Amino acid sequence: MQSEGRFTPRYQREPARRVFAAELREASYHFKDGEDEKSPTYVLLPTGERCNRVLIIGSMTQKEKRGDQNIFYQIRVSDPTGIFFVSATSYQQEAMTQVSKIDPPAFVAVVGKPSVYETPDGRVFVSVRAESVTVVDKEMRNCWVLDTAESTLKRLESFGTTEDSKTAGEHYATNPEVYRRMVYEALAQITI
Amino acid sequence: MDLSEAAERISRKFELQKVKIDPSEVEKKLRTLVEDFGVNLSEAEKTVSENIARDHNLAAVPAQSSEMREIGSLLPGEWVTVEGKVVGTAKPASAAIRQSGIITDTSGAIQFTAWERANAPLLEEGKWYRIESVVVDEYRGMPKLNFHKGTTITEIEKEAPVMPQMTKVADLRPGVASVKVKVVQEWEARHERILQTGIVGDESGTIKFTIWKEEDMERLEPGMVYNIFYATVDEYQGRLSITLNGAKCFPDEEAEITVGTGAATIKGVIVNVGPGSGLVRRCPVEGCNRVLSKRNYCPVHDVQDNFRNDIRIKGVLDDGTTARNILMQKDVVEAVTGLALDEAVSISQEGPLGLDDVFCRIRDAVMGRYFACSGSDLGDTFLVKDCTLLTFDKDRHTELLNQIGGELNAE
Repeated sequence: MQSEGRFTPRYQREPARRVFAAELREASYHFKDGEDEKSPTYVLLPTGERCNRVLIIGSMTQKEKRGDQNIFYQIRVSDPTGIFFVSATSYQQEAMTQVSKIDPPAFVAVVGKPSVYETPDGRVFVSVRAESVTVVDKEMRNCWVLDTAESTLKRLESFGTTEDSKTAGEHYATNPEVYRRMVYEALAQITI
Repeated sequence: MDLSEAAERISRKFELQKVKIDPSEVEKKLRTLVEDFGVNLSEAEKTVSENIARDHNLAAVPAQSSEMREIGSLLPGEWVTVEGKVVGTAKPASAAIRQSGIITDTSGAIQFTAWERANAPLLEEGKWYRIESVVVDEYRGMPKLNFHKGTTITEIEKEAPVMPQMTKVADLRPGVASVKVKVVQEWEARHERILQTGIVGDESGTIKFTIWKEEDMERLEPGMVYNIFYATVDEYQGRLSITLNGAKCFPDEEAEITVGTGAATIKGVIVNVGPGSGLVRRCPVEGCNRVLSKRNYCPVHDVQDNFRNDIRIKGVLDDGTTARNILMQKDVVEAVTGLALDEAVSISQEGPLGLDDVFCRIRDAVMGRYFACSGSDLGDTFLVKDCTLLTFDKDRHTELLNQIGGELNAE
């Protein structure tokens, strides 16, 4: 309804981006939007969109409980293109108690924040800190694959035209063909 | 007009440009010009203003107070003279304000505020006034006239027809506007000073309205179409609403409007079920219905022995681009979770974690799932009237496979 700049900005929750494991794995460039301590941090997706939160629906294949005093869970969630590394620590109590009750294999929906880590030997590694992990069914997993395929294609279509995708062009050797093929193969794996 | 008034006016004028000028200094300069050099006051005022502007490297002196302007063209920060007809006055909300109201000419309408210390005469509705040296201020994005000590108000003889221009709800901006709308919804007043609040709308959309309790203010009748002249459009946290105090509302019994209710369907995944979801207790006092705290405390009616159980979801529906707050009430929650209110109540009484058990049941039933929600947009929350779990779209799947497959083969 409003378009004029002088209206007070409202707090906007960061949307949860839909991204396949094979793409998120390639992300390495991250940045902060603004100087403030509380400014959101983003991981830049190779197909050219900033991402502060993701939604993943896939199969939880592994669950490991780690830590002595500070217990946390590391889980692996697989989608048709690869694996997401997801952690649920005591900072996200809700996600941790949810994970504690789930036994793999199970279809799960994960909402969380991606972050980029650098290992001592210089390798870059993306993992997702879960805010919530819920058991869902295969139907929802299929919906997510379709949704993520469409989102990825949409990003590829506007690649090179948006601010974020221009930045992505500078930081990644994004080959749209590779991602199109990834989308195709992900969709082809859905059997009903 | 005396020297101190002119000095006050000059220092205010510069204050608008963020330059602090001591009025007594200004007065001294004026006095020198007027009393020692025989300059007339208006000329002295101009000279002093220009000198101060030059001293502070201000390129332009703010608009001259003598400039006669059309009300519709006023911008915040200007210093103007206007002629207009007072079309509404309202009781001030604060003792510091003597009078507030709306003044209009053929070009538009604007709200005015006469501060108590400005010592301005009370204006009468229906009369024309010439208002000299008045400041156009901005309050929450809405231009407003502020009368101050240096403002001169004279009643004038003028008969010009001022016809309010009607605005579509979707085109409303902060300020003063006239609309033809239907009363769509009436809400329970959440504040004892509110006489009535709810939603009005026309074909283009809907907007929240409020009438504050005041003498002679009447409630609107739900379902009735009204011509509302000179309502105040406010903006708060990015949302617009209209206040009808000071406005003129005329029912139009002949008219019928098909309201664009803002009814919409949004699709996405529920990515958050927030605090306040699950089983809640509501205040039993008639017309209150507020959610009670854990100790059954109502913010208005104190501790209640009784309460009414209710179940709701305050969540976020996210389509990958936008995350929207949604609110589901009892019927929708029961349908979508399969958990009836009675059952939720007994879980809360018998389960080991009480209310938390209900919360988890509800959360686990809806989180991470694709839904199509239809309902109405209340601004920062979408009220869900009906909610369907989405299923896998086979046709879209086949279509996409063929499309990308074709593209890949073509290369």
